[in-house]
Amino acid sequence: MIELKDLCEDLKERFGAETSVKGSVCYVKVEADKYLEVAKFLKKEFDRLLTISAVDFIKESFFEVYFILYRFDGRVYCKVSTKVPRDEAEIDSLSQLWPNASMHERETWEMFGIKFKGNDMLKPLLTEEWTGPPPFRKDFNWRKYVAEVYRIPQAMR
Amino acid sequence: MAASVKALLKLFFRKPMTYRFPPEMPLSEFSRGRHVLDMEKCRGCGACATICPNKAIEMVERETEDGKVRKYPQIDMFKCCFCGLCAEICPTGALKLTNFPWLVAMDKKSYIMPPEELAKPPELQMPPMKVKPKSIVDWARARSLWIVFYFTGCCFLEAAPWASSGFDMERFGLLTKGSPRQSDVLLVGGYVTPKTLRRIVRVYSQMPRPKYVMAFGCCPATGGTYWDSYNVIKELDKYIPVDMWIAGCPPRPEPIGLAVVMAMDAIQGMGYQGKEEKVPEEVKVPYYEPKPGEKEMVFTVPFGPQHPASGNFSIRLRLDGEYIFEAEAVPGYLHRGFEKLMEYRSWYQNIMIVQRICVLDGASYELAYAETVEELAGVEPPDRAKYLRVIQAELSRIQSHLLNIGLIAKAAGFDTVLNVAWGDREKVLYVRERLTGSRIYDIYSAPGGVRRDMPEKLREDVEEMVKKLRPQLEIYDDLLLKNPMFKERTVGVGKVDRDTAVEYDLVGPNLRASGMGFDVRKDVPYEVYGDLDFKVPCYEEGDAYHRTLVRRDEIEQSLNIIEQAVDEMPKGPFRKKVPFFMRVPKGEAWHCIESARGELCFYMVSDGSDRPYRVKVRGPTFDSILVLLPKVLKGAPLADVPVVYWSFDNCPADHDR
Repeated sequence: MIELKDLCEDLKERFGAETSVKGSVCYVKVEADKYLEVAKFLKKEFDRLLTISAVDFIKESFFEVYFILYRFDGRVYCKVSTKVPRDEAEIDSLSQLWPNASMHERETWEMFGIKFKGNDMLKPLLTEEWTGPPPFRKDFNWRKYVAEVYRIPQAMR
Repeated sequence: MAASVKALLKLFFRKPMTYRFPPEMPLSEFSRGRHVLDMEKCRGCGACATICPNKAIEMVERETEDGKVRKYPQIDMFKCCFCGLCAEICPTGALKLTNFPWLVAMDKKSYIMPPEELAKPPELQMPPMKVKPKSIVDWARARSLWIVFYFTGCCFLEAAPWASSGFDMERFGLLTKGSPRQSDVLLVGGYVTPKTLRRIVRVYSQMPRPKYVMAFGCCPATGGTYWDSYNVIKELDKYIPVDMWIAGCPPRPEPIGLAVVMAMDAIQGMGYQGKEEKVPEEVKVPYYEPKPGEKEMVFTVPFGPQHPASGNFSIRLRLDGEYIFEAEAVPGYLHRGFEKLMEYRSWYQNIMIVQRICVLDGASYELAYAETVEELAGVEPPDRAKYLRVIQAELSRIQSHLLNIGLIAKAAGFDTVLNVAWGDREKVLYVRERLTGSRIYDIYSAPGGVRRDMPEKLREDVEEMVKKLRPQLEIYDDLLLKNPMFKERTVGVGKVDRDTAVEYDLVGPNLRASGMGFDVRKDVPYEVYGDLDFKVPCYEEGDAYHRTLVRRDEIEQSLNIIEQAVDEMPKGPFRKKVPFFMRVPKGEAWHCIESARGELCFYMVSDGSDRPYRVKVRGPTFDSILVLLPKVLKGAPLADVPVVYWSFDNCPADHDR
């Protein structure tokens, strides 16, 4: 069994992480330079990587990049997140730790334009010949784009 | 072998599974179809136009008898998704949904319905079909239309029953052909992304003349639900001519029948040759060509997206002779950008879009969304709603597994089982429609509970369904799972051991077939699964055969769960009222449930406003199909690809979102 409280204490001590627990999920916030170290440490504690993705906080001008892990024994999830500046979005890749990490990073790169250092798979996954800005960024307005490209004026209604 | 023959004989002496055509009206008292408007009750407040997530409703002015000008709704049926939010919000009950599904037209503009049209009760008009044929060629052509299906999106799920035993299209002289070169009719089923459009144009240009195109569903006509997605084509007829439009989201299978009869009538009576061909030059069509200077027997073969067994998804295979030495998944044909679409809609409007992420098992997505919003907003649904949600989720699981058993049987060459399994699936869909109001897209779970109470007769319907399905499981055993020929095709094929399964994040039945008994319903219980008694079937071998076996066992367990839930149904309210335009407190939530394909998770961020700030959907197929499948296929012969592919039970719409 794993005690989420002990894990939180451990993470606080070793990496200076901000932690909180809600139900069976543990939320961990770390600095960008500790991101890969924390992932290496948690790789031993948790069994599988569920996803890697991002949130665009445009007002505060940063991306929150996060990954989520699960451990069968103890039945707990762990979300680790870090801040990446919006104008220079770059972070270490986790592809050396989990085999499915590079595919999730590929999608995040395509949708948010965040570069992952050490991931050699960064090419378009879901779109084809897309030339616009990364579509999931908050400053790309879909409805405006649809109104202009597909000529649907009610999109701006 | 004797068991298979016995099972076949049993089937032979049973009542046929096929429905009558034209069916007796009403088809079903519970389905959601065309609207009807009571002009006297309508106050013209415009609430319906505000809530409509598709902007299908426009308020138009009309002069009344006493000389006043009043506003009434005008509805474009080719934009509507038949979710019923407009009827739910209507303060006077003037706007209602009927159960009329027959919305077929050769001109899509004819279904922009002004209030006067909406006020009339709907009526079915069948074409006469007694017109004297113009020539023998037209007569013969009308009666042997061969169809090439291009299932671009969700509507596939309602066009498939049309081809199987329930609705039996072969009685109209229709035949499915995987190849466009022998086909007369191209049936486009669902939304079209730019990536898919290039392939559709290629298929269309390969068909012989005269060629006819039918567009199934609202999305090809106007963009439908995805009217504001950057990656969905809004009007298909800008690129290829479309002869027949069928409205619905998705339409029931019967309107395809009406469309076919109308097409036969036009071809036979008028010698209709299809609209003029115009394929724009700018739609580039990519070809796959082998690289020069390679060994003679080395090929690149794309499996899909226009392949009878692939769904709208592609795997690029590199073959040395018959054996695969390299494989790469090419997704994205169904990418609509759901996570961002949901940021543009309010918390309540999203209940209508969220199940469209994966058509094969939409109920689970509704459930996961509703639960995550409840966690964020701190709302606890009443007990009765929890039981109703469990019934809905399990019905969805059974129909999804039956669909998969049919597909893997087809992939291994057992067409009979395909027709039996998909015929049985109709029984489940019948109960599902009576509970939720729709066969495929329930729009049933909403934050705070469910949208309607359990109908009185549901108990009997469930009993009847269980009574019919339990003995059918033995028929699957006899015909398929104990059949030595099926075993030869699937045992030891596509093997995944336990450590690989965990490392590559396999979930659901696929993981349980590899010896890891992880099921969210048991391990991190939600709703009332903690109180219900059921087993989690688990096998060690991890091959295509045992993945199918897990699904068959799960059907049995789900039937048990439904029976228990109906028996133990508590009394009380079925929903807690939440405001239509509610605000959700600032925060984040990560929530997982067990869908038919495995662990499905939602991550949501709220900034305290009336719509989500960010939604992340972590679907169950992303890792298994995009990462693990190419690895498993390495070294396999080409003929094994469909079997391995369907044993993982892919839903391309889920990983593309």
